[in-house]
Amino acid sequence: MEALRVEGLSKDFGGVHALSNVSFSVEVGEHLAIIGPNGAGKTTLFNLLNGQLPPTAGRTYFFGRDITTMPTHRRAHLGQSRSFQIISLFPNLTLLDNTLITLHGTKRSRFQMFRPTNRYQHLLARAQEILTAVALWEKKNEFVKNISYGEQRRLEIALTLASEPKLLLLDEPSCGLTSAESADITDMIHRLGRDITVLLVAHDMDLVFGVAERIIVLHYGEVIADGSPEEIQASPMVKEIYMGIEEDTENATAR
Amino acid sequence: MLLFLIASGMSIVMGLMGITNLAHGALYMVGAYVGWSIAVQYGLPFGLAVFLGGCAGGLTGLILERGFLRRLYKLPNEQVLLTFGFVYILSNLCLWIWGPRRRLQFTGEFLSGLIHIGGIPFPMSRVFMIIMGILVAIGLWWMQDRTRLGAMVRGGMDDKEMTMGLGINLERVSMLVFFLAAFIAGIAGVVGAQLLGAYSWLSTDILVLALVVVIVGGIGSVQGALLGGIVIGLIDTVFKTLLPQFSMFTIYLAMIIILMVRPSGLLGRRV
Amino acid sequence: MATAKLKEATRQPWQGQLIRFVPYIIGGVILILLPAVMPSYVQGIWTKFVIFAIFATSYDLAYGHTGLLSLGHAAYFGAGGYAVALLMLHYGIDSLWIGLPVGILIGAAVAAAFGFITLRVSGMYFLLVTFALAQLLFSITWNVRWFNSPGMMGIAGLSLPDLGIPWFSWSTISLYYFVLVMFLISFFLIHRIINSPFGYALRGIREGEVRMQALGYNTWFYKYVAFIITGAFAGLAGVLFVYYNRFISPTHIGIMFSFLPMIMVIIGGSGTLIGPVIGAMIIIFVEYFASLFTPERWPLILGAIFVTVIMYAQGGIAPHLSRLWQRMSYRYGSTKS
Repeated sequence: MEALRVEGLSKDFGGVHALSNVSFSVEVGEHLAIIGPNGAGKTTLFNLLNGQLPPTAGRTYFFGRDITTMPTHRRAHLGQSRSFQIISLFPNLTLLDNTLITLHGTKRSRFQMFRPTNRYQHLLARAQEILTAVALWEKKNEFVKNISYGEQRRLEIALTLASEPKLLLLDEPSCGLTSAESADITDMIHRLGRDITVLLVAHDMDLVFGVAERIIVLHYGEVIADGSPEEIQASPMVKEIYMGIEEDTENATAR
Repeated sequence: MLLFLIASGMSIVMGLMGITNLAHGALYMVGAYVGWSIAVQYGLPFGLAVFLGGCAGGLTGLILERGFLRRLYKLPNEQVLLTFGFVYILSNLCLWIWGPRRRLQFTGEFLSGLIHIGGIPFPMSRVFMIIMGILVAIGLWWMQDRTRLGAMVRGGMDDKEMTMGLGINLERVSMLVFFLAAFIAGIAGVVGAQLLGAYSWLSTDILVLALVVVIVGGIGSVQGALLGGIVIGLIDTVFKTLLPQFSMFTIYLAMIIILMVRPSGLLGRRV
Repeated sequence: MATAKLKEATRQPWQGQLIRFVPYIIGGVILILLPAVMPSYVQGIWTKFVIFAIFATSYDLAYGHTGLLSLGHAAYFGAGGYAVALLMLHYGIDSLWIGLPVGILIGAAVAAAFGFITLRVSGMYFLLVTFALAQLLFSITWNVRWFNSPGMMGIAGLSLPDLGIPWFSWSTISLYYFVLVMFLISFFLIHRIINSPFGYALRGIREGEVRMQALGYNTWFYKYVAFIITGAFAGLAGVLFVYYNRFISPTHIGIMFSFLPMIMVIIGGSGTLIGPVIGAMIIIFVEYFASLFTPERWPLILGAIFVTVIMYAQGGIAPHLSRLWQRMSYRYGSTKS
């Protein structure tokens, strides 16, 4: 069963080809990592998958359904959940409020105008579960902007699971984290059930190789490799791209 | 033309700094009042009044920017609100200093006559307005397209981070631009005083006009302000003669149509 | 068992203590008792304050909670007011039972119409469009004869509403209590909305609209509904204003008037429930005192207060008050730590 399939996805920004003819599919439960140098189009791809941007060409299918023109919020209801490269939690709201808002997002109660939010006991309990699992329950009344970056990231990742999604889109989840914190994320992904599909964009190779069952390499908006981690590691073309980058950084630091 | 003078400064500030300076009309007013003092109270030549009116406007604008707006960096909503607070302050200050007189229309001695162009008599004051407008337009265009400063401004409008990354001190450029816009507003105040006079409600009356022209002409472009000024002026004149009841209405309608069809204005820079 | 512990954990320290009644007592004194002992001219000021409290609170729902900075809020206020005034002027209908609902509906309808146009854009453009639309309404009331009493600008000579109760006639104080009741109802409704999931969603939209969409919220819908609600409450304030003021003019739709709720919200504290009310109280009463001593300098004073608050007391007075309240309640209230 295909969780996700994209055919010929392209995105142009007035002359700049951010993505060109990207096609691939993802099976249910698969863990797919998308890697590539900076500017390769990884976040753009996510924006297309999650609906923040419309494609210039191509189609997107989610569990067999054509969602190419579907607005973002409806994709969330179909089962997509996304984390952002730049932490997108609500800075001036408390952790508890952030969690509650996230939980209501896929429930009908989100339209409720008269019943106070803290009367929803079952959601409050669920919030407690989530916050306790990331050891942040004591800080539930703190504003997000007042907790550390690592804590924010931890919460944001944890919240992606709050809606019991079918597809997890994680954009640079370990960005800015210590290696211990990244290892936590790797663990979390391993503990996911087989009915959750994970798409991961990352630069952190430990995370990528720790989690991915399949890797797609993007370069200048095109898919240049699609295979198992071993294949990718062995591929000379991929080496060249990354080597080229490493050489540049080596030369720069050598000077 | 007057509309262009009023709007051009505001448009550029909006485009570059992203600040909607609601006090722009107030700066106009300050210029008009100061100009009146210079020309009428002290009987000095009109040209000097224009210049000093501009300086007054510019100075006030500078105080506003350096003393207050600068501190609210990254809080655009607060900045807009702040500028409006100043409208109250400045309007009332002017009322206090100059007293509650009715519209003070004034013009320079040599400008109060008529000039004959092609057999048709035009009031000199109007001609002067047009000439001033053209001068400022040329000056701004020259600055925008030909000077380094203009290039920095345009760069800043397109991509702030990139421009700053290139080592350009955008803060100082912004300050200069703001001063320039305020200066032009002050000049506009004196020039326009020939037609509109000077009174404390000018702050909001002019603000409304400026916003309309900026919206129609486009944010962040001098040509836009020019075009906007012409378009609005035309619409206004046409309807004033045909259906005087609706002249105001059509201006606002035009504004709304533009906002719906082409939000960045006729020649605007940002979408 | 688990739910009991949860409730315990999310309780505020002053709940369950007597001290939590203090704000209500203060509020009660200010709103209910004091006006009864004031001269009727001052009662009128109190009435004005409460009306503007409704107006400001409605504005804050859009600005403080949803993050929509609009420059034309007076349009909905004026729409409600004009609806009632026109009913009286052209149709001789002065019944409260017709006028009030019509005013509220018209306010909401104008907001619905405007919202459709304004919510297509955001940020600076949103500001400009709200301004443009309000000015449009302004010019209609200015130019079109039907919107004015014959021979003048605006509509004058409006009477107090007819309740349909034969032995009843209005007095300054009875009008005040009527307005107060309207305010309390509005306050309660808005309080409910703010604390509901819908209200939480509005704040989420203020903080990060993109994320809200990714979470499953149709943000346009929320903004639109919030807009209509603010229009309805502003319309209510407009209706009450006409009853109080007996006169309405295009000025009440103009840009200067639109700023009043903005100033009140900023000074009182945006995003809180009581902030706009405090702001309204401060502005209206300072205006009154200024009118006694230095009437010409009032805008200057207002501007100066406004600028000071923006520069140095961001968030307004309400957060400071609530911090003070928290400290006091810790000291005098809870015996637990």
